[in-house]
Amino acid sequence: MKIRHILLILTAFLGVALLVAVSVQIRNEVLEYQTAHRMVASNAVRERLLLATDALAAERSQTYALLIDPDKAGEKTRGVDEVRRQVDDLLQSAERTIEETRTSLTNSDGSLTLLSGIRQAVKALRDLVDASLNPDESRRSRELAPRWFQETSRLIEDLQSSRLTLLQRERPLEPTLRTEANLRTYGGILSESIARNQALMTHVLASPQGSSGLDLDAISRNAGRAGLVWELIDGQPTASLSEPVKAAIASAREDFRSTLAPLQQSLLVSLLSRVPPRLDSDDWYEITGRSLNSVAMMQQELLSSSRTRLQAELRRAERSVALWTTLLALGVGAVIGSALVVRRRVVRPLEELSRTMLRLADHDLTTPLPRDTRSDELGAMSDALRVFKANAIKRERTQNEKQMLHARLRDAYRQLRKDLEAAAVIQSTMLPPPSTMGGVRHRGLFRPSSLIAGDTYNVVRRSDGGIGFFQVDVAGHGAPAALVSVACHHALSQAILTRTQGTPLEEIASQINGDWPEDLPYFTMILGEVDPRSQRASIIQAGHPSPLVIRVDGTVEALGDGGFPVGMIAAATYERLEFEFEPGDRLLIYSDGLIEAEDAKGEAFSEARLRQVIVENAGNPTSVLLEVLDGAVRNWRGSETLEDDLSVLMLERLAERTPAHAVH
Amino acid sequence: MLSTDQRGNILVVQVEEKRIDASKAPIFKDEMTRCIEGGQNQIVLDLSRVDFIDSSGLGALVSCLKRLGPRGSLAVAGATGAVSRLFTLTRMDRVFALHPNVEAAVEQLSA
Repeated sequence: MKIRHILLILTAFLGVALLVAVSVQIRNEVLEYQTAHRMVASNAVRERLLLATDALAAERSQTYALLIDPDKAGEKTRGVDEVRRQVDDLLQSAERTIEETRTSLTNSDGSLTLLSGIRQAVKALRDLVDASLNPDESRRSRELAPRWFQETSRLIEDLQSSRLTLLQRERPLEPTLRTEANLRTYGGILSESIARNQALMTHVLASPQGSSGLDLDAISRNAGRAGLVWELIDGQPTASLSEPVKAAIASAREDFRSTLAPLQQSLLVSLLSRVPPRLDSDDWYEITGRSLNSVAMMQQELLSSSRTRLQAELRRAERSVALWTTLLALGVGAVIGSALVVRRRVVRPLEELSRTMLRLADHDLTTPLPRDTRSDELGAMSDALRVFKANAIKRERTQNEKQMLHARLRDAYRQLRKDLEAAAVIQSTMLPPPSTMGGVRHRGLFRPSSLIAGDTYNVVRRSDGGIGFFQVDVAGHGAPAALVSVACHHALSQAILTRTQGTPLEEIASQINGDWPEDLPYFTMILGEVDPRSQRASIIQAGHPSPLVIRVDGTVEALGDGGFPVGMIAAATYERLEFEFEPGDRLLIYSDGLIEAEDAKGEAFSEARLRQVIVENAGNPTSVLLEVLDGAVRNWRGSETLEDDLSVLMLERLAERTPAHAVH
Repeated sequence: MLSTDQRGNILVVQVEEKRIDASKAPIFKDEMTRCIEGGQNQIVLDLSRVDFIDSSGLGALVSCLKRLGPRGSLAVAGATGAVSRLFTLTRMDRVFALHPNVEAAVEQLSA
């Protein structure tokens, strides 16, 4: 897995974790916001319903009073119209509120159906009331009164129950809101109890004689219920309620405890004991109206407080959602930002470095380096790479130079070797091929230790019929010795050919020795000639190994005991050695490379072994003898190579010429 | 390859190698030249340990002798076998004073 994948996966993982955490939080906040929104909606609807309920209760009381006392219709009708409009407005307002909050609330349709049913029922009842309020129909209106009361009470109960259904469904969890909701419910019951008694007692007080036990029973029940409600209200925790709410509750309680409850009690007592009450119906109506007002005030305060709290809660939830959404956006931004930064500052430079390294490792030194002047680790890596590349280029240059030098050396060596090979060919062509001249047959063996040799030999026939010969071994070996040997070859050949009659060989040697430049290597040689007119030959031995004479009878003898090499001592003198060289005799001249050839243990082939080979093969013709000798030396060396140049020259005086020739 | 032993005005130079051939001759020549240029002109060259001298070695020996000049002398001691034969073959026995051993050479030079 590449670093970019690791880093990007890590970033993505962190990002997703962050997003999930924040999203969960946002979901909670949104849920809370939705709840708050629903509560606000539910609260608004309930508020409308509560006000509508109160208004309907007021209409019930007023209409009821009107029905049981139609004589007063004139002065009260205006009040009824007013309260009817209020009821209509509030019901419509409740419907509008439900419509507006349709999306937040459940079962809005049910509530709307209920409200519209209530409105129709109210309208129908009102039509009945209006019809019965005709002055001629006063009896009918009194008969209608209980029905009106009953019907509207049922509608009020419906409204209340729909309100409680809403409360049940959207029950607030916050304790103060719950308390306030509870208090409002109790306040509703309280208000309804008072309102019922307002109507019932008005009826009873208007005609105390006509009052039935049932009415008193209902009044007593309502009074009891109101007392019970107050106990419930007092049982609620009020510490967290706001001051205006507390004050409104206290005021309502004060009104009930000190005014309404005792008055109601005393009226009931008087009515039960058939004592004429000391209060007329209008006064009662007014007193209960005040009580209802104070309860309504309490309800208003509670509603207002709840509304404020819910709005605050809604705003808080809104802020919370906004906050967390902002955090989410910031988080997403941070994740994307860090991914981009990681990509730009770490992943890309790393990939570039890695690509460059791979190319450099692949000997692609033209690879451009990342242009980076950073001071962090990547910058350090980049710097190191720069040094690495510079070194690699330097190394490559050195390598190239070495290779070029090597190639030049190889070429030079090839050229040198070619030159040497050509020189070797030239040198070998300078050597006389086996032949016979002037009754002397000669054959040589020539084995240079490298391509060209410091050894050389020649056999030439002078104009006077003499056969001159020489073998030379220049000190050292290789090219310098070979060049000198060529010079010797030429000088000696010329000297033999051009020497004037009678110049002895030793003088030729002395002359060459005297003329020899001091800074050239010296050489050893055998210089000799075969006298064509006698059976003799002579040689000059100049530091060269003593030649061997192989007599026709197979005996072998060495000639001479030494002499100065040529070119070593300027004042050196040479001696000529004459010896018998009869037909069938052979002269074997060799360079020291032959007898000094060493075997693997460093032991020289030696003169003794040479003589042994010669003696053993004295009966063989020259070519065979030379082959055997060559084989013996190779065998002795154990290899084809030589430490020093090796050459052998053999001369053989042939038998007397044919008689035809002998005449001359 | 050389070890020296000063005996009075005579420098005895012992050749430590068994061979003076083409590969050793230049070193031999250099070291001898240093001795000669150091002012030595009575030198005994002890060849008792040397088995073989080739043409290059002989050339080096002769060039030392030439460098020493007519006022100096280079005596050779302890030449045997192939070395002795080489001296004879090339007539160097007539150029160098040959002695069987160092003592004889020193004695001869001191005389």
